[in-house]
Amino acid sequence: MKNSKMCLALYSGSIDKLTAAGVIISGAVANDMSIDVYVLLQGARAMLKNIAKNKDKLNMAENANLRDEFLKSCKDLNVKEWHEFFKEAKEMGDVKFHICGLAGKIWGGYKIEDFVEFADDIVGISEYITAAQEADVHLFI
Amino acid sequence: MNASELKNLNVNKTVDARGTSCPGPLLEAKKVIGTIASGEIMEVLSSDEGTKVDIPKWCNKQGHEYLGTIEENGYFRIFLKKG
Repeated sequence: MKNSKMCLALYSGSIDKLTAAGVIISGAVANDMSIDVYVLLQGARAMLKNIAKNKDKLNMAENANLRDEFLKSCKDLNVKEWHEFFKEAKEMGDVKFHICGLAGKIWGGYKIEDFVEFADDIVGISEYITAAQEADVHLFI
Repeated sequence: MNASELKNLNVNKTVDARGTSCPGPLLEAKKVIGTIASGEIMEVLSSDEGTKVDIPKWCNKQGHEYLGTIEENGYFRIFLKKG
């Protein structure tokens, strides 16, 4: 199982699904997987530098009425924020965050500098399709 | 190993991950395992119920030897030998 590949299509930009993605990426990196995250539509918005670390700009995907409970529980349980999971995973292993070029432009992100510091590059859809074909595990969140 | 054998182990490194939730203990274990030598013993302290299932599986995949778990009051002591 060593050095197997995970391809994760991160469409969602909601705070609950981003947290789930962070936990999954962390587990994969702890298991020595190589992980390519393709950040698609709403995900690309969340990865914008001026949005990522501002919880107020991110909604819940489900049970919007439970947002406060979710955030409080995460804090009480010492759960990292999603972008902290992403950054730590990158520091620990082979994790790359590729931003979809179209998605970026939709939200006003044209250059890699417009996104969080752990974003690697801006790519086209073919990169994602190829990675999905080659991966051992392929997830869409 | 049984509980008394585990308690008598000469532990080279203890990772105290109590107070973090999944995947915290696993990430801590992953970070620290790189700092000990093959054949050395590591102990992971975790208050997260999932860790006692996660670590044995992780050991199996990573080539480490899972030695056993002692359940203390409110947390687990999970022992492994680095492969």
